[in-house]
Formats: sequence, C-alpha cells, structure tokens
Amino acid sequence: MKISKLYIENFKCFNGAFTIDFTDDVNILVGNNETGKSTILEAIHLALTGVLNGHYLRDELSQYLFNNDVISKYFLDIRAGNNPDLPHILIEVFFKENNFPKFEGDGNSDRSKATGVSFKIEFDKDTYKLAYEELLKKKFETIPIEYYKICWKSFARDGITSRNIPLKSVLIDSSSHRYYNGSDIYISRIIKNNLNEEQRADISQAFRKLKETFMGDDSIKAINEQVENNAKISTSKKVEISVDLSTRDAWETTLITYLDNVPFHQIGKGEQCIVKTNLSLSHKKSEEANLILLEEPENHLTHSKLNEFIKAITSNRNQKQIIISTHSSFVANKLGLENLILLNANKVSGKREKFYFKKLEDTTYKYFEKLSGYDTLRLILCKKAILVEGDSDELVVQKAYMDNHERKLPIENNIDVISVRSLAFKRFLDIAKELNQPTAVVTDNDGNYKEKVTNKYKDYEKVKCIEIFADENKNLNTLEPQFVNANKDNLEILCKAIGIDCTIYNSGDKIIDFMEANKTKWALSLFETSEKVKYPKYIQKLIDWCDEE
Amino acid sequence: MKNNKLYISAAGSGKTTFLVNKALELDKTKQILITTYTVDNEEEIRKKILKKRSSIPSNITVQGWFSFLLQHGVRPYQGSINEMLFENDIKGMFLSEGNSSIKNDEQGKPIYYQGRPLTYGENDFKNFYFTKNWKIYSDKISKFIVGCNEKVNGEIISRMSRIYSHIFIDEVQDLAGYDLEIIKLLFNSNVEIILVGDPRQVTYLTNHYKKYTKYKDGNIKEFIQNECKSLIDENSIDENSLKKSHRNNKAICEYSSKLYPEYEKSEPCDCNICRSNVSEHEGVFLIKKENLDYYLEEYNPIQLIWDKRTEINNNYPALTFGKSKGKTYERVLIYPTSNIKKWIKDNTFDFTKFENGKKKKIKDAKEKFYVALTRARHSVAIVYDYKENEQFEGIQKYKI
Repeated sequence: MKISKLYIENFKCFNGAFTIDFTDDVNILVGNNETGKSTILEAIHLALTGVLNGHYLRDELSQYLFNNDVISKYFLDIRAGNNPDLPHILIEVFFKENNFPKFEGDGNSDRSKATGVSFKIEFDKDTYKLAYEELLKKKFETIPIEYYKICWKSFARDGITSRNIPLKSVLIDSSSHRYYNGSDIYISRIIKNNLNEEQRADISQAFRKLKETFMGDDSIKAINEQVENNAKISTSKKVEISVDLSTRDAWETTLITYLDNVPFHQIGKGEQCIVKTNLSLSHKKSEEANLILLEEPENHLTHSKLNEFIKAITSNRNQKQIIISTHSSFVANKLGLENLILLNANKVSGKREKFYFKKLEDTTYKYFEKLSGYDTLRLILCKKAILVEGDSDELVVQKAYMDNHERKLPIENNIDVISVRSLAFKRFLDIAKELNQPTAVVTDNDGNYKEKVTNKYKDYEKVKCIEIFADENKNLNTLEPQFVNANKDNLEILCKAIGIDCTIYNSGDKIIDFMEANKTKWALSLFETSEKVKYPKYIQKLIDWCDEE
Repeated sequence: MKNNKLYISAAGSGKTTFLVNKALELDKTKQILITTYTVDNEEEIRKKILKKRSSIPSNITVQGWFSFLLQHGVRPYQGSINEMLFENDIKGMFLSEGNSSIKNDEQGKPIYYQGRPLTYGENDFKNFYFTKNWKIYSDKISKFIVGCNEKVNGEIISRMSRIYSHIFIDEVQDLAGYDLEIIKLLFNSNVEIILVGDPRQVTYLTNHYKKYTKYKDGNIKEFIQNECKSLIDENSIDENSLKKSHRNNKAICEYSSKLYPEYEKSEPCDCNICRSNVSEHEGVFLIKKENLDYYLEEYNPIQLIWDKRTEINNNYPALTFGKSKGKTYERVLIYPTSNIKKWIKDNTFDFTKFENGKKKKIKDAKEKFYVALTRARHSVAIVYDYKENEQFEGIQKYKI
C-alpha cells in the first residue's frame, strides 16, 4: 500500500492549497529551512494516525497549527467587516491502490473518484454557531479554537480512526517523543504493529502475571499491609502499591525496550534512529506494508553511521515507501537524486512550490550515487551557484565578490561558490539545467579555448540559466597569468596583496612562477589583504552576473 | 456463475437463523453484509449470531438497511450527483411517513392546494431530497442512489461489490420502490445476493415512492421474476426450503394460511425437537371477554393489540402487532380490530373498504393480523364475543 499524493491547506507554513506527488519507493524532500519539509512529514503522519508531536492532536488543538497569513487575513477581513468564514485546516492523503474500496469516493479536494483519508480541523458550526455570533460582537485577537472539531473521514465520508486505516505510518525524527514514564511512543508502536492479535494478548497476559507476582511478593505484601494500616490517605477505600494496569495495553506504556541491557531511551540518539528505522523496515505484516517517514536522519549520525543507515534503507526496503527529509547531500546522493523533491518558498507570494527531479539522466544520478561526497544540495538550495575548479579559484571569486559588495561574502547573499573537480562540472550543470538554477562556471582555458571551453560546454550554450566564464586569450591559460596580466600596470600592489617582496619578484614571469608554485598560499593572502587589486575581466564579468536579477 | 437467491419463507420457519447460519458457514475471507429494514430485526440477527459465536465475526457486518444505504450508497459519491453536496454534509436521515418534500409557509406549516400538501419537484434538488437541515428523506434515499450511481457510471455499486462479496437481506418483503431497483443493480453485480422474506408479512414499507408500485405489497417474487428475468435461473426462487414452521402447530398453520389462499400453505415442522413438548391447550380459539381474566391467569399469554388505544388487562404484558414481528411466544391473546372480526366471521372478507367511492385497501390490517396469528407455538386465542349458535371455520370456541 502506497500513498500517491498529499494535499495540504492552511497547515503551518502552507498558505492555501498545496499538493505534492510521491513515487512508490524513496522520496527525498530537500529545501531550505522553513520551506515545509518537516510539515509535510507531520501532515502525512497526522492524517494517518491522528498523532502530532507524539500526542493525539484531538486533545491539543491550537491556533499555532494554522498558517499565519491565513489567520492575519481572517482578522483583516473581520476588521473590514467582510464577515469571513473561520479558517480551516485540511490534510488529505491519497492512496495509490484502489483495492481499499471503503476509502473510495469523491469526498476529496479533487472532487472525483479517489481512495484516501481526509483530516479536517474546522469550526463546529452545528454546536457553536450561536456562541461564535456572540463572539463576533466583541473584539477578539485569536482564533476561537475551542469551537473547532476534528473531522477524520475516508474519501467515502465515513468517520474513521487510526485503527481502520490500512496504511500504517512510522515517523522517525531526531527529537524524541516519549511517554512521561520513559517508554518511547514510536518504538512501542513499531513493535506493537509487528505483533498479531494473539501475540498482543500474550504480552498483556504476561504483564498481568508480572503484576500478580509483584503483588504476591512477601515484601510487597508487608509494605502494603503497612501502607494500609498507617496511611490515612483515603478513609473508606483500600490503598495499596501496584502496577499500572489501567489502560488496555498497559504494557505498551510501561514496558521499555532494552538494547544490550541499556534502556532504549538511554542509548545515543543516532543509534535510536537506526534501530527505529530497522524495526520499521522489518515490519512483518506485508499486507499492511507501512510508510516510513524519516526526518533529517543525518542529525545525530556520524558519517560512517550515516553510511550504515543509508545502506540499511536501500538494501532492506522491500518495496516499502519512504519519505525522507534531509539537508545532507550525502543522503540525497546515496538515495538517488532522481528521487529529490525540492521545496521552495516563492519569492513574491511566499507560497510553497515543489519541483521534481524525475527527468534527470540516469548517468548523472548514478555518478553522484557513487561520488556521494559532492555537495549537490548546495547547488540546488542556493539562489545562484558558482562552480570553480579549486581552492585558489574559490578564494579569488569570493574576494572579488567581497570587494564589490562592501565586504559581504557571496553566501551572505545566498550565492554559493562550490569547488568541484573539472570532470564533475557537467554533472552539476545537468542538475542546474533540469532545475533552471542560475549557475556560473569559472574555468581556465588551459591554452585551448575552443576545446576546453567552447566544445566542452557546447550542450549548455543555449541554456539560459548557465553561464561559462573564461578568457579567450590562449597565452593566459590559467588564473595566475590572468591575474598578473590584470595587474600588469601595478605589480607592486599585487605583490603586497599576495604577500611577496616585489623587489625579489620583480617581473611578471617571476610572480607567475611563485603563484603557480604556491597556489593556495597566494590565494589565502589575497583573500585577507586590504590592498585593492584588479581582477581578470572574466572574473569581473562573473561578479556582474551575480548582481543580475 | 454467482448464485442469487430469493427464499420465500413461512412465519416461524427460522429464516433469520437460516441466514445467520449461511453467513457463518461461509469462508472467513468472504465479506458478508446482513441487512434488514427494522431495528428490532437487526438486533435479532445480532443476537442469533452471538448465540453461536462469542462476538460478531470480523467478516460479518450487521447493519440496518437505511444505515447501509447512507454509508455505502449516498455518501461516497454524493458530490457527483450535485455540486452542492461537496460543500454540505448530509446530516443523516429524516424518516418520512407518507409524503416528503412538503412545501411549508413562513410559519413552517404545510401549504395545501385542493386538500393536498404541495411538494417540491425533482428539479429543486435540495428541497426534493433534503430537509432544511440537510437530512435526506428516507423515502428518497434509494432514488438518490440510483441517480447518483448513473452519474458516476456505476461506481457506487462497483464499490459495494468490492467491499462485500455477499449481501443478505432479511425481511425483503419490506423493501419497495427504488429499493427494488437497488436489488436489481446488486443482482447484476459481482455480489452474491440472498433475499429472504415472507410476502404475507408486509408490515412496514421502506418507502412509498411511486416506483414499481405493482410490486409493493409483498410481490417481491413477481418483481424478481419479471424485472430481473435475465439475471436469474430456475433455482433462484426457493419456496420450499423455508416452508415449514418451527413455531406454529398444525392448527395455527392451517388457520393462518387461510388468510393467504394464493400462497403455499405453511406446514408445522414435524421433527422431534419441534414437536417434543405438546401442551394440554393447543390450537386456535375464540374467547369471550368475560373469560379473559381467567384465561390470562391460567395460560399467561402475551396480549397482542392493534395500537396503544386498545383496552387490555394491564396486569399482563402486551405488544402491538407490528412490534411482535419476528418474535416467538408460547401463547398469544389477540384483540382483533373490527375488520379482523369481519374476516373471522366470514373468511371471504377481503380487507378493502370504500372511500370517496373508490375501493381501497385497509392499511396493513391483513398483514398485521397474519403476523399476530403466527407468533405462538401452542395456542392463539382471539377476543370475540360470539353467540352460541354462530358458526366459525377452522376455529374452536374456548370454554372454561
């Protein structure tokens, strides 16, 4: 069982309607902070389980679930006397399969036949119409959440509970939600979902026996006798110490999972994440194949643990659907860039947008799967990207930008300078092209402009978002001669800037020799200097490109 | 090929037990719905299952007919019949007796024209199907579903058929109008349908909508024969399996059969279990009012009445004819209406009357009397101040 689509309206950062499609296997949500990655995971989990942040939402409705802009608009309308409807939140999860006819109907935002569930938080008009009318006569600043109700239905408009939803979801996030007594809500649920009715009954039985044994123990008996005789806690009722069996699945809240004799919640968060994921991957009930929602698994994992973790996901997935949010290029590269879904806040409206990577060429994502150390997400997430060939190029570009922007680093304006080996340039450009992401390449001509620049980047000639910056002069084949040439009228300042004695390095050639022999060194000196040097023309052009809208 | 069936049953033949057994015998993987019109019978079905199992098996759903129609007929595609229903929830059902969709004036009183209340037509979708508060009129539910199902190219019936492999309908004689159309649609789907009913016991009708009116008074057999002809075979209608009464003795079977000479006579089941405890007071009797107190004291029968206005001995339990449907008692005492008395006197009386010069059926009288007659195992006594010289067919005069 898979989900094919999510519809969100007015929930948290989603202003108005938003839909997102999912593939059957791995879906990777990437995007800057506050673009709604976690909210998407939360929304799916909420609609399938009724649980938000480890608690049943039913008991914890609050105004903060609503989109801020939606609430502001409501109050603006109130003040303008427009008599607006109270805002609602709607989350719909569309199932892919249609062999769950009980969930089939036109009760969804598409208004046509589909299978799925709808979770709506709305004003309870039938009960509170009059109360709300009274409230409208007064001044109020917050949404009257006490007049709201949760409407949880199938697309056939049948009331549902998490019990009768055939799709079981597990949300594994790095913050841990625990019952007050320490048992972990997720791990209990994962384990519980793995058991059949009989096994569950067995656990409950065993747990009751445990209680009986406990109560039958001589020391407990003695203590209880003492309690009964001494304590005047209740005048008419018997007081005794016992084990909490008040809930139906008492064991679930009381029993704790141990790993190597360490209680689950005491082990490292990273390890917890791996254990939870492995548990949910090994889910036995194949007919209830679950959906695994993973939030930023890289948070508590070292690189090697992360590698282990990704390996577990890819090799044990068994057709299970996974939706994962991440900031890690490594995770994204490993799980396959073709599975990326990029979330974005529109610059003008602030509304969330999404972008799928499905059309990326096979060879490109396979390349990054193998060379997974590349910062692909940096390219994807910045406003403009500049690809350079090495450390010295990176430093020079940064410095050139700072000199033109009141000492601001490019990254402060969300322009990311990424150092890439020359072979990977084209792979990055393929992503940029697919995404229509403004990307510049800064490259040497290596003495052969036609071959090293024109021919190499021919495929991107007509791609608007991609610009190649290089100089045509074959004598100035690399950055160093370019630099010396740009400053040929004032080599003294250049020498000062790169930290050498201009009386020793008294010719352009000597300076070039030094620079070529000390690539990173001169670039570092330049980066730190307050001297005003001149930059090669193509770098100057690059800086102009950075400022284009 | 799937095996749709209609079982015509006699009173006390154990048809509900028969249905329940059929459901319990089926493979656990089959999803079975058992539905019926009245709440009482729905409860009876549940009780019968719980006699045999510790809980209702998860593959069996027992649900009232209207509740089933609302859940699986109306709601899944309600928006597709009219856009309005995407925005508005249907708030449940309004049980309409007689006319629905009546036009009201500003004070909420019906508007009359030439002695009849004015009603909304089909072109006013909202007011035709729904009350002011979006409750759907019970007599329009099945019409709504048939219309909606057409709009969505049969998705409603298709959905039902993917949820349930078997749908059993008990007391099918109560269904009328567009309900019959739904039965026809189900006959034509993948669901295996079993209908069970006693055409002599039409005491309630699901609706009085003018559709298939000729089949409404217990003519379910004719409906299946005529309207579902292409969907059935020669074994689809079974009048024999449920012909024997496990409840009534021979005298009661014979006397009650006289009410419906057009149907096969019911027979008492002659198995040892059914006939094991014969009492000293067996048969059908007329009893004079003066002997009632003695009779009640002696035999403790349940008193069956037309309605609450009937004068009875309040020291003993009583029930209306309608409410007694489906129940079994050792002995009953019937307080007949004047029309019933006419029939007792003369069995050719045909339960019709003249109204405004037209011949009209006396509402439910015959059917309800049949129900009352067939409740008892041992004895039926009918309150009737006969004269000593009067002659009655098939019935004894009770003497102390």
